[in-house]
Formats: sequence, C-alpha cells, structure tokens
Amino acid sequence: MNTKEKPVPHNELERLAALKRYNILDTLPEHAFDDATKLVSYICGVPIAHISFIDETRQWFKSEIGVGVSEVPREISFCQYTIMDSKMVEIPDTFLNEQFKDDPNVTGGFKVRFYAGVPLTTPDGYNIGSLCAVDHVTKELNENQRNALSIVAKHVINQLELRTKNIELDVQKKIAERAVLAKDSFLANMSHEIRTPLNAIIGFTDLLAQTKLDAVQRDYIDSVQIAGENLLLIINDILDLSKIESGNLTIEEHSFNLKKTLKHVYNLLKVKVPADVEFNLFLDADMPEIVIGDSGRLNQILVNLIGNALKFTEEGEVTVSVKKVDETADYNSLRFSIKDTGTGIAEEKLTTIFERFTQAEESTTRKFGGTGLGLNIVKQLVELHNAKINVKSKLGRGSEFSFVINYKKADDTVIETEKLAEEHVSRLKILLCEDNVLNQKLAKSVIENFGFEVDIAENGQVGIDLLLKNEYDLILMDLQMPVKDGYQTTQYIRNEMNLNIPIIAMTAHSLVGEQNRCYDTGMNGYVPKPFKQQVLLEAIKSVMSKDVVNVTKRKIDFSYLNEMALGNPNFIQEMINLFIEKIPNQVIQLRQAVNKNDNDTVKKLAHNMKSSLDIFMLKDLTNSLSIIEEEAELEKLSIETKEKMDSLSIEIAEVVKTLKEL
Amino acid sequence: MRIILSEDNDILRKSLSFFLESKGFTVDQFSDGKDALDAIEANTYDLILTDINMPGISGMEITQYVRQSMGSEIPIIIFTSSGIEQTELDSFDIGANEFIAKPISPAVLLVRINKLLKIRV
Repeated sequence: MNTKEKPVPHNELERLAALKRYNILDTLPEHAFDDATKLVSYICGVPIAHISFIDETRQWFKSEIGVGVSEVPREISFCQYTIMDSKMVEIPDTFLNEQFKDDPNVTGGFKVRFYAGVPLTTPDGYNIGSLCAVDHVTKELNENQRNALSIVAKHVINQLELRTKNIELDVQKKIAERAVLAKDSFLANMSHEIRTPLNAIIGFTDLLAQTKLDAVQRDYIDSVQIAGENLLLIINDILDLSKIESGNLTIEEHSFNLKKTLKHVYNLLKVKVPADVEFNLFLDADMPEIVIGDSGRLNQILVNLIGNALKFTEEGEVTVSVKKVDETADYNSLRFSIKDTGTGIAEEKLTTIFERFTQAEESTTRKFGGTGLGLNIVKQLVELHNAKINVKSKLGRGSEFSFVINYKKADDTVIETEKLAEEHVSRLKILLCEDNVLNQKLAKSVIENFGFEVDIAENGQVGIDLLLKNEYDLILMDLQMPVKDGYQTTQYIRNEMNLNIPIIAMTAHSLVGEQNRCYDTGMNGYVPKPFKQQVLLEAIKSVMSKDVVNVTKRKIDFSYLNEMALGNPNFIQEMINLFIEKIPNQVIQLRQAVNKNDNDTVKKLAHNMKSSLDIFMLKDLTNSLSIIEEEAELEKLSIETKEKMDSLSIEIAEVVKTLKEL
Repeated sequence: MRIILSEDNDILRKSLSFFLESKGFTVDQFSDGKDALDAIEANTYDLILTDINMPGISGMEITQYVRQSMGSEIPIIIFTSSGIEQTELDSFDIGANEFIAKPISPAVLLVRINKLLKIRV
C-alpha cells in the first residue's frame, strides 16, 4: 500500500563507498559514540536518541538510547530522508506532517511523535548517517538545542576520522616493526657471512707481515692490516647492535677481578695516548676487587668511551675514575667516569650523540673515523645493566661520560682461578678439526709459527680416527663440520673415549649461548673466528696450564689407607694398584648405566665405588656419587646427573693419573 | 677370634681384612652375600661384619636369617652408607648389635668389635 518512492541520494554509490571507508558498520559499542548519544538525549530532553549509519539496505545503530534494536530496514527509517538533506530535519509533530502521519512508526512501531535528525556529513561531503533525537510527544527545539545537535554531529564525524587514522597507524606500525625485525636478522646474517672470509684476509695478512718484506711492502701490509681490523670492528659493532635489538644480547653474571679488568683496559689504551695528553686511572680505595657481573661488556663500554676520549683530546688529560657510591647487603654501586679535556660537544648535540650514525660533527667521520655506532652500543649496553649513561660537556672544554652500575657482591670465598703455570707451553702436538681448506691452511701456518706440531682432520670422524692412532696434547675444534660436527665429536671424545684432552672450540658464529653450549659439551676453551694469533695462543696456554693445575690441584690423602694398612707400604701399593685396575672400568659401566637410565645398576655401582673412593679420602667425589646413587634410588636420573657423571669421570681419571705417576 | 667379613668392594674388604688380621683376628672374607651366609651356616664365627648392600643376599637379610632362622645370638655389625636414620634404626630392629657408617674408621671398628666380644665373654 505504501507506494511512496524510496528516497535515494543522487551520489548514492560514492556515499556508500565513503561509508565503507570508515569500517564502522557492525563494530562493537564505543564510549565516544555512546557519550555523544547521551549528550543528544540530555540536550533535547528526549527518551530516544541514536547515532546511525545507512548502507544499501539498513539503518545500523552505532549507539542508541531507547531504540532497543541494532538495525532496522532502510525503507522504514526516518533517517533515509534526513540523509537527503544537508541540514537538520525537525518534525515537531508527526501527526501534522503530510509525509509521515501515516508512517507505520508513527501510527505504531516506535510511536514517533517528535523527530529531529542531523545528517552525519563526511569532510568530503557525503551523508553517511544521522544523529537523531526522538520523542513520543510533540516538541519544539530552541535555537541552542539545534546548534548543539549540529555541533555533536560534527564531533561524531571527527571521532570517526580519528578512529580510522588510528587503525591505519596501527597497520603501519606493524609493518614497520616487521621491517625492523627483517633488517636485524639480515644484519646478523650478513655480518656473519662477512666475518668468515675476513677471517682468512686478516689471518693471512698477519702471516704475510711476518715474512721478509721491503719497506714499501711493509707499508702496504700495515695499511691492509689496519683496514682489515677496522672492517672487523665495524662488523662486530653491527653484529652487536643487531643482537641487542633482537634481544639476543644478555648481561652475563660471573665473578671477575674488577681492578684487573680496569688495569687491562688502561694498558690496552695507553698505547693510543697522544704525546700531550696525560692518561690517568683513579680507583677508589674501597672499591671492591672482585664483583659479579659481565666483565666482557664492561670492557667494551670502557674501551669505547675511553677510546673516544683519547680520539677527541689533543692536549690536557683523560681521566678514568671508579668510585663506590653506595652499598647494600648484596650490591655495590660503582660510578664509572671518563673525563677529558678534549673538543667537547655542543649542547644542542648532546641529545643526539647516542643515536646511530650520528656524530657530533659532520666532519668527524672524515677527521676521526669511526662507525657512528659506538656510543649507541655503549648506551644500550649500559642500559642492559639497568643503568643510565650521563654526559656533561662544553664545547672546547671537554666532556665527561658517567654511569653507575650495581654489581652483585662476590662471595668472599671465591678464589680467583689464576693460571699458576704461566709459561708452561712446550712443544705441543695439536689436532685441528676443520673442514674449510682456507681456514685449515691459515690455522696450520699460525700453529706452526707458534712452534707446535699440527695434524689436520677435515671432519670430526677423521679427527676421532687420528685421535685413536696418535697422541695429542690439544684439539682445536671447528663447530660446523660435515659427517660429525664439533659438538658431536666432543661428546664422543668425552663420553665414549673417556678422554679429557683439552678441546678449544673455534667458531665464526659468536652467537649468544654458543660459548656456554661449548663448555656444557665438555670443551675447555673458546676462540671466536676470525681469530687473532695472540688470542689463540692465550687460549692454548690457558687450557694447557689449567690441565697442569688440575693435576697438581688434587693432593691425594693416604692417611686413611695408611691407618688400615698400619703403614705397610707393600699393602698400600697393592690397594693403589687394585684401585687403578678396577675404577676406570667401573666409571665406564656407571656412565653407561646413567645414560641408559638403568637405575638398579647405577645404585649398585655407585654404592660400590663410594667405598673405593673413601679409601683415598676423595670426599667430594664420594658426595657426587651419593647424589647420583640417591637420584637412581628415586628414579630421577636427569640431564644434570649425566653432566655430574661427566665431570666425575674427568676427576676420577685425574686421580687415576696421579696415582699411576706415584 | 674368628670374624666373617661380607663386603662387595674389593679394596675396602681387603683393607679391612688386612687391618683386622694385623690386630690378631682370623678373617674369612666374602664379596657375595649368599656365599657369606653359606659360610656362616657351615662354620662357627665369633662376629659377623656385613655391608648393608650386597649382591645376592643383603646384610639385612643375612642378619634376619641369622637371628630368626638360625636362632643365633652372634654379634653382628652392619656397615651402612645411606646416612639415612631409618635404615640404621631398621638394622637394630632386625637384630644387629651395632652399625657403623661408611667411611669406616678402623679405630672405631676395633673398639666396637672389642666391646661386643667382651660382652660375650
């Protein structure tokens, strides 16, 4: 019966497209819109108010009071007329309105007697919906109320615009974050790939420098060496940054000698001090000597900051001072300060010097070199220590960089493991497991330069075969090799062959946790590639002297056996022989039982072996066995048990070795 | 005085035997609980020393058998290494006269042996 033609705006298609852009239809209620609706109801004093949008077929309510439905068909809505207009539509009494007096929502339905609707007009001029006030009684709005409705309608549109922009921003943010992640992993991969060939370049240049050269060649080689090392520095910086960004760089906790670390840094940089500069290191008298923290990272921070200070100071002094500023039961707060009388930094540059690839002066790179990454890394490293880097500076007067790190107090009983035998490296026979031919050649030359003998295995399996045939003092182990990699080979040597020959890992990975994994597998040292000759030599010396220390460390106490034997030397020797004969086999059996989780055998063997170890008063080893026995009793043999077993077999092997040498 | 020593660890067993023999005892040593028990049934001993954990028959089982099945009151010293109070109490419950925790002090062992043998005398 209602044959009234449906009103459709002349720009309906564009209007619908505009509505769609806002992505508002069928969204959840939002406070901003609900508040606007309430405001309309208060302003006009009406029981029904709503904010709605009209698409092809329906009027959808974003927010409503007194309507009670979420949408109505477009053809029964009042608002289909409102969006035809550019200004407010107000019908004080629908009964008197020709167009509406027979409308089903007037005669029945919502019983609309009063209607006021403002079109919601987008900035580009499309009426996408309406803001309405409705009552069941007649009503006339005053001018203020009408103005207020128009203002609220404008706010609703602004809210819509804002909402859309926020969604767009969110999308952009996610894209940006993904891009950063991709960039970081790209950087990490790239710098790894670059380090491998650089290893060869630096290594062979080192070797070349040791040959007989004329002055010009010497000069060229020096330049190549400097350039190579600078390139390595840059790559390390980039690798560090990408590690920090991806959260892969953690601050380690180990006890270290702070005084020694500082002196080491001081000595390292002393050579770079210009002639007219005084370089000082001031240590507070009550600064703790040993603390728990990350010495490597502290080293890096200090070398960077002091290196900068020296670079930018032509005369005057560079002073490094460390002071205890606070102390709690568990922590020492230490303030590190690096002060110089150098060029200084302009005040407006102070905030940006910690950003990447920014240097205080554009000309700095040309004049002083550097990557522009150093301070950014320093800042992030300091922040990883839960500290903050401060800088004070005046142009032409100098700068001071400072930070306060809380170091955990070291247990007093922690005795530093010092190399007892400093120069205990004689002519060593070394086994090198390395698959890369270039690296083989390089390492071989370097090791032979040290005066050591070297055999080369191109993979772990070949290494094991050589180890079965010949006797070696030390193994240098590449981690990535075909057939058997460095980890598998080490496991085999430690667990199957029961050898405690020192193993040094050599790797270009330098990834977080890798060093730990090497030690966990049973390796004794770690040299990152590209390796410096000196670093490799130090690592060799260190593991070799540790070996010496280990052997001499355990003094076997014969007093118990002596008491049993009533001093009879023949009987004592007989018991020692029995021990040497029996215990290594038992260790192997126990290790197998532990690996097989054979609780029964573990219990029996551990119990039996304890009595043997007791005879030589090896209390710590007996305790380890008791723990293993107990774990077997509780059927709780774990990875840790296996690890304990590993170190136990090394210790027992040492004891047997000592006993044999008597 | 004739002592039977049942201990599966060779070094400890030989050491203890050497020590006790040096002190004038006659020591029959066994590394297996079953063999030890057979010897106890076949011979007359003045004292039994046994480890609590033994292959074949445990020290607890030997003690139980001696007290219940054989009805013998021969002094028994059990070597324990558990460090757990309960096992030590258990060893008294089944009729051991003493327990000595490993590592066994030879001097202490000697005092306990003498004490037990004097009681018997």
